[in-house]
Amino acid sequence: MSNESQNQRDEHENQFSRRDFVKGAAAFTASAVADARLALNKNTRRGRQSTTSGTAASSNQPVPKRDLGKTGAQVSVLGIGGYHLGSTKDQQEATELVGRALDAGINFFDNCWDYHDGLSEERMGTALRGKRDQAFLMTKVCTHGRGKDVAMQMLEQSLRRLQTDHLDLWQIHEVIYYNDPDLIFAPGGAAEALLAAKQQGKVRFVGFTGHKDPAIHLRMLAQNFPFDTVQMPLNAFDASFRSFETSVVPEANKRGIGVLGMKSLGGSGEMVTNGAITAQEGLRYAMSLPVATTISGMESLGVLEQNLKVARGFQRMSEAEMQALRDRVKAYAADGRFELFKTTKKYDGSVGREQHHYPTAEKLPV
Amino acid sequence: MKRVSKAEPSTSTAPSKSAAAGIPMRQFGKHHDIQVSALGMGGHHLGSAKDEHTAIELVHEAIDGGITFFDNCWEYHRGKSENWMGKGLKGRRDKVFLMTKVCTHGRDGALAMQMLEQSLNRFQTDHLDLWQAHGVGFENDPQLFIRPGGAAEAMLKAKEQGKVRFLGFTGHKDPAIHLSMLETGFPFDAVQMPLNAFDASFRSFQARVMPELNRRGIAVLGMKPMSGHGEPIQNGAVSADEALRYAMSLPVTVTITGMERPDILRQNLRIAQDFKQMTAEEMKDLEDRVKPVAADGHFELYKVSLKFDNPEARIAHGFPIDQQSDEIKEWLLDAANDGHAYPPTP
Repeated sequence: MSNESQNQRDEHENQFSRRDFVKGAAAFTASAVADARLALNKNTRRGRQSTTSGTAASSNQPVPKRDLGKTGAQVSVLGIGGYHLGSTKDQQEATELVGRALDAGINFFDNCWDYHDGLSEERMGTALRGKRDQAFLMTKVCTHGRGKDVAMQMLEQSLRRLQTDHLDLWQIHEVIYYNDPDLIFAPGGAAEALLAAKQQGKVRFVGFTGHKDPAIHLRMLAQNFPFDTVQMPLNAFDASFRSFETSVVPEANKRGIGVLGMKSLGGSGEMVTNGAITAQEGLRYAMSLPVATTISGMESLGVLEQNLKVARGFQRMSEAEMQALRDRVKAYAADGRFELFKTTKKYDGSVGREQHHYPTAEKLPV
Repeated sequence: MKRVSKAEPSTSTAPSKSAAAGIPMRQFGKHHDIQVSALGMGGHHLGSAKDEHTAIELVHEAIDGGITFFDNCWEYHRGKSENWMGKGLKGRRDKVFLMTKVCTHGRDGALAMQMLEQSLNRFQTDHLDLWQAHGVGFENDPQLFIRPGGAAEAMLKAKEQGKVRFLGFTGHKDPAIHLSMLETGFPFDAVQMPLNAFDASFRSFQARVMPELNRRGIAVLGMKPMSGHGEPIQNGAVSADEALRYAMSLPVTVTITGMERPDILRQNLRIAQDFKQMTAEEMKDLEDRVKPVAADGHFELYKVSLKFDNPEARIAHGFPIDQQSDEIKEWLLDAANDGHAYPPTP
């Protein structure tokens, strides 16, 4: 564990310092040899299988942790997405999933006030009963332009559903409309709620999320508000299309704001089901970026186990591997067909649509 | 100061009027010998008319009212829009400036030529006045358009063959994509884009694309003066009168709008026949008034959703289609087998 997290800390200062390179080379000579062999076989079926067995060998290692920006907190490189937790078949499965995730070293738990009309928070709250201290618990607030009072009411509801007296991280959800930054930072806006909640000890850290346009994220950051975290879609396709990776990540890193990646496979696995990448490649790429955690939706134990194969004892992809993957998917990335959250209304929630006078998902699905 | 020049039509020469009625005529880009009516009839809505007879009557009444500019597209209502317009134009083809669009969306030039033949057959004409690449709305469209074997080659070939007189492109998504189409260096005669008071302050074509076209002498074709389906008019944010007058007061060659019913056609004919250029102050007042509701794009859904992206664009780019599209409904209906030979019973 210490090796990995030490590496992460160093990388926050200088991702490609010579010191890291030398240390990494010394520590992982064996895997470098294995990588070279893989490179030779990379287009063969055998090559793919050995990738899988290579990571399976680390099945007893915990999921590594990284620094969350300059907060002082450490979070697991893989996070449990709250939306999909609400899609588990019952509470028992959700409880089991959360328990197994904690046992494997995952401590980052994502949620949102409006996921499944509160069911996601309720299931997570019940699943974390007696284990709250082991988790770094985040949820989001759905003001979508409304003010501080609405936000504080939602916070109380979230705390009740999550059965806790505080959140580790509270974020403004879905900052995706072009006037959202203006509304959030207007007098009496949601930004004031973040500060108040922190002051009252109800939340430790604050941030915001969004999946639409890096320009909107940058406008939020330009306010110089003390955000501890910022969440965004990060995947191999994003690198060459309306890219958060190239525009927002460096800015957040520079400011010491913890980067939370999401939608590593397109939001609903579009990149995988369309055959553009494998789930393993997609997740590895996202986790290899200079991020604190990659939040992934897992609605069943099977998906959790699949992700754990990647996350246990996780080692970052080399820059060359990452570039090769970016190049390979570039043609698919160019029109945003597998990043529908950027290019269509598909991933825009109903509360935000309502507040911004947009048609409902039934009337305007995409 | 800037405002004054903006409100001044590109055709600063004394505007003539259509012979039949009082719709102002304007010069088509840098082509001094060509004048078109400042109001144009949109092809999509024509295919939404109650029936074929109504559509034909609408075309006749539009021509009698002074409209000469007719818009259409290969895929509107799966060909119905072009077929009905063709019937309406029978014996009147010479009185109009006929445009349609081609739906390659990045696919090969050979497909574009096939679509052109179909469009000409449906219109029952041997040439188009203007042929445009339709719905340029994806970031890689400009690249795909100009590539060897792409639609750009087909367009030049069609012009050479005398099947089309002028060339252009259309799109409603993002001014940046329009600008990268211009950067391809292709000799466009016309460019079409959404122009209305909401656009003035949200991802603005008016601010970013229109001045560039005016500078280059490329005809500016405005569309969606009422936001596509008249949403802000139903909502009370603007009146039809204000919306259309505003759009027509910009330095554009024509403002294309959909008119699927006689009452809508007559309303717009009246506005266009009585057209009086808005003053710079009037335009600014309207822009300021709608600015708060323009800021998140909910009155310009063509910029922020797939709603106005037709199935051909979505299919060519691998995006989801949805059942609320007229064309998809009609496509599904085509599968209905009622046991009758052509034409199918309605």
